[in-house]
Amino acid sequence: MTTVTGTPEEDAAHPVTGLDEVVHQRVRLGILTITHEARRVEFGYLRTHLELTAGNLSKHLSVLEEAGLIEIEKGYEGRRARTWITLTAAGRAALTEEIGRLKQLIARVENTHPPEDR
Amino acid sequence: MTAESMPADDPRRVLSDMRALAHRVRLDRRMTWGALLILAAVTLAAVPFDWFFMKVQCLPDGSCTFSRRGMLFYWPLASLLAYAAITYIYLRAARARGLSARVLPYAITGAATTVLFPTAWAAMSVYLSSHPVPEGPLPYWWFALDRLIMPWGVIGLSLLVLAGLERNVLLLVFTVGYLALVVLALPMNFGFGPPHWGIRLGLAVPQLIAGAVLLLGAAGFRVAARRRR
Repeated sequence: MTTVTGTPEEDAAHPVTGLDEVVHQRVRLGILTITHEARRVEFGYLRTHLELTAGNLSKHLSVLEEAGLIEIEKGYEGRRARTWITLTAAGRAALTEEIGRLKQLIARVENTHPPEDR
Repeated sequence: MTAESMPADDPRRVLSDMRALAHRVRLDRRMTWGALLILAAVTLAAVPFDWFFMKVQCLPDGSCTFSRRGMLFYWPLASLLAYAAITYIYLRAARARGLSARVLPYAITGAATTVLFPTAWAAMSVYLSSHPVPEGPLPYWWFALDRLIMPWGVIGLSLLVLAGLERNVLLLVFTVGYLALVVLALPMNFGFGPPHWGIRLGLAVPQLIAGAVLLLGAAGFRVAARRRR
């Protein structure tokens, strides 16, 4: 973990403090990213591309659904059961905010430790 | 990607992973080769329509005039069917892959551009019925504009929209090349070839070339899509 030193005011405004733990997790961030790009994505696509088991993916989806960041819709296509995931407005906002925080974090690390120093 | 929490000192990698995932979704949603194949098919199918429904009148002094009524009836219907077919294959392919398609703006553009050619033709006919045909050679930009609003140019314009929607740089490059060919290089509006070819063959050849380019593009994008998988 990188330790960033600064004044108390700077530390209070450190981007890490604003990260949302629900979103700030690799798999959940991956789910939100794919769903944002795809608008609507099927469970199987997420499972394949995030290389997860069905059970593991379901747990992460439940966390995101409970937080109101995604909507899960179950149905059938022919005789095949399908589960579709859609990003909510809150999910879109949370993802945008997370990306902003990550960019701030990168900028902060680069300002504190210029590339030639590392 | 693992289920573990992201290390806080790795935001650069996280953003890079996110970009890669978004790019993967864009690639999986593409059916560029299918769109090009359908557009190539309607372009090539237009050739016999143009050939058989063209009215050619030659005067004793050897000069000839021609009217391409077949094009006017063929292209609006063919374009509508083509854009409907493209929308259908995009929706079907995306659904089969577990994604939603993003093709509606392209279909709307295609449908809107369908009316461009007959509208421009009608406007020109009305104008020429009350104004004399300009004497002397027309400026080059006039020919280029004429070719741009012809069906082959309009196909290029709609492909630009598709390239933008798909954020597909390769399709953008292909479309710019295609547009340069049909607007600046090929005489789509008055044909070419040696005099003994005649008007019909002279006008068929540029259409065959445009159709062949679209067909080659479809083959190229198909090969690229297969390699990616």
